[in-house]
Amino acid sequence: MKKITLFVCGALWALGFSACSTTDQQVSDLLEQLAANQIETASWQLAVDELAAIGRPAARQLVAHLNPDHYKGVNYREYRSEQEKLRTGAARALGHIKPRGATVALDDRIVVGYTDHERIACIWAIGEIGFNQTGLDALKAQLKDKNPLIRLHAAIGIVKMDEDDGIEEIEAALNGDADQLVKIALQGLEESNYYGVPHLSRFARQTGPSQKQLSQVVDRVKTQLVTQLAAEEPTIRQRSARGLGIIGDPSARQGLLQLLEDPNNLVRFNAAAALATMDDSQGIVFLFAALQNEDPILRANAVKFLTQVQRSSGAVEGQLLDALGGDNPLSRSGAAQVLGEARVVDAVQALLTATADAVAEVRCSAIIALGQIGPDDIRDRLQALCEDSDPTVSYYAEWALQQLGQS
Amino acid sequence: MKKSIFLHAAAILSIAAVCSGETPETILIRSTLGNDLSGHRRADTDLVLSAYHEDFAGYQGNGNADPRAWSVLYENLDGFTDALDKKLSTYRYETERTLPFIHVRGKKAMVTSIDSGKVVDRGTGEARSIKTRRFWTLRKVEEEWLITGLIEDLGSAAQAVPKAGDHAEEIVELLQRERQGWEDGSAGSISGLFDEEFIGYDGYGTVKPETWKIIFGGTEELEKWLDKRLQRTSYKVDRQVIFTSVDANRHEALALTSEKLTTTHEKGDAAHSTNRYVLWTLSRRTGDWKITNMCYNIGIDN
Repeated sequence: MKKITLFVCGALWALGFSACSTTDQQVSDLLEQLAANQIETASWQLAVDELAAIGRPAARQLVAHLNPDHYKGVNYREYRSEQEKLRTGAARALGHIKPRGATVALDDRIVVGYTDHERIACIWAIGEIGFNQTGLDALKAQLKDKNPLIRLHAAIGIVKMDEDDGIEEIEAALNGDADQLVKIALQGLEESNYYGVPHLSRFARQTGPSQKQLSQVVDRVKTQLVTQLAAEEPTIRQRSARGLGIIGDPSARQGLLQLLEDPNNLVRFNAAAALATMDDSQGIVFLFAALQNEDPILRANAVKFLTQVQRSSGAVEGQLLDALGGDNPLSRSGAAQVLGEARVVDAVQALLTATADAVAEVRCSAIIALGQIGPDDIRDRLQALCEDSDPTVSYYAEWALQQLGQS
Repeated sequence: MKKSIFLHAAAILSIAAVCSGETPETILIRSTLGNDLSGHRRADTDLVLSAYHEDFAGYQGNGNADPRAWSVLYENLDGFTDALDKKLSTYRYETERTLPFIHVRGKKAMVTSIDSGKVVDRGTGEARSIKTRRFWTLRKVEEEWLITGLIEDLGSAAQAVPKAGDHAEEIVELLQRERQGWEDGSAGSISGLFDEEFIGYDGYGTVKPETWKIIFGGTEELEKWLDKRLQRTSYKVDRQVIFTSVDANRHEALALTSEKLTTTHEKGDAAHSTNRYVLWTLSRRTGDWKITNMCYNIGIDN
């Protein structure tokens, strides 16, 4: 029995070892293919694609090929142009594989000592890997580069990290007359997926020389986001839903409606908020139903997402005022919170009325909202509320007076 | 208690070394070159020689960074020892040494030094100020770094050079055999021309050793590279030997080649090509001429 166990263990070890060495050999062959073909030719691109398909098992060798010190001894290459082909291809493949640990090695290769091919490939890969403070800092530094191509690629990388430093670089490219920069900016925004949607939507609404192409990119991103609504990863579903809300195209409605039954809370709320932004009744109903849920977490989410909807589209103002005057005290309180957070000036009178609500929590929420909106003519009412029988209400009345400042 | 103090001291020294950019190897290399300097200052031949490897050879740089101005100065350690005895009995050395550059790769290292101070004639008391730059190569043997090569009075820039004389035929013939090995794709016939302990450098197009890197440390590494490289690539080498210098006893030689190198790949149609100068040093200490140093892409045009 012991012998059989030993044999099986040995066979498994040998199998594992041979699988590793086969992959290593495959990666080595593909790297050789990178070195042997001009950048961007079909054979070179095929090698990048196949390395990307191997995925994480290839990452170690790819990262090694970024480093100039790698090209010594058994890895020596006489030609700088050969190293460029390898380094550029390795960076491209890493951008597809997205190993977090590669960012530092990539950061070091985006400086002026490297060729534009290498720098751009590494910048692109850093963006694709996603947010990482070191990567973000490195990209921000490239926004000062003399070369507009490098600045533009860095700005796109930053957008992919859900940050907007350098967005003016993208805007300038789209409004400029350099076709190459326009093409890169459009492609970068498309690749930025949901992170690029707020900017993409804004640019597409503005009149400019690239408006038609921007609309086409919006359409393609929308299609991508709709596909991503079925993604396994909840974060992708959630962000895709939010992006579709910003795009506001009713054709995405069906996919968003399905997400109202999603097992993940945040996915459901993002889908509902997206639908509500499009003035879709089912999204609005979902959020207002959550506003009166006994679960405080769901209520907090409802307040947060209704605030987003109100701020971005104003689509739920009427429903909020209705809820403030409704029967359910949780709805009344939640509606007051949203009206305050969204700074709805037209709601001041209704909120003043709510300061006389029979339920102390509603009075509190209305007072806080008034403190946030800050109309000047409510001091007398707030002074009176400082004497409220509920100590929390009187406390917030004093707080709201402080927000209004000295008369 | 003693052990604890020792461990603390060792840790502090290690931290200090790391903070100053030093490594255990650079500290040992400084110690070796320190012995050479101290031996000169104290006129202690044994102390000087303790820093040198038996395979040592030295070259005269003649204040020029262009190898075409260089010549063989010490054909071997015996030649160096004779010269040292004469120098130490004639002069007193009151010099300091700084090491602005140390590059280590495995068991091979290269260093540049600047010696400054006075050299005093013991007989006349006449003193002359010196400031000289040297290039050293070292090899680690067990736990000790030993000097294997020296370029005395290395210039910091390429200057005008005298017209080259006749080339040493045996050196030209060897370097052409090396070229042929590349074109035949024969790793064995190339590596067989190299000394087991040779050092290969990439000069990256400059004459400043401070920007060079060691790329090969011995034939074992070279052979592995050649096996891998020649399986997947083909070479065309158009080589001209433009300078050779051999000592009177024909033990040690220097050479410079100018060549156009073209590489094609089995896995694609990209062809890489470059024009480069290659510096070679050769030795016949084992009987046949063997390459002991090779610096690709030395930048004498720059």
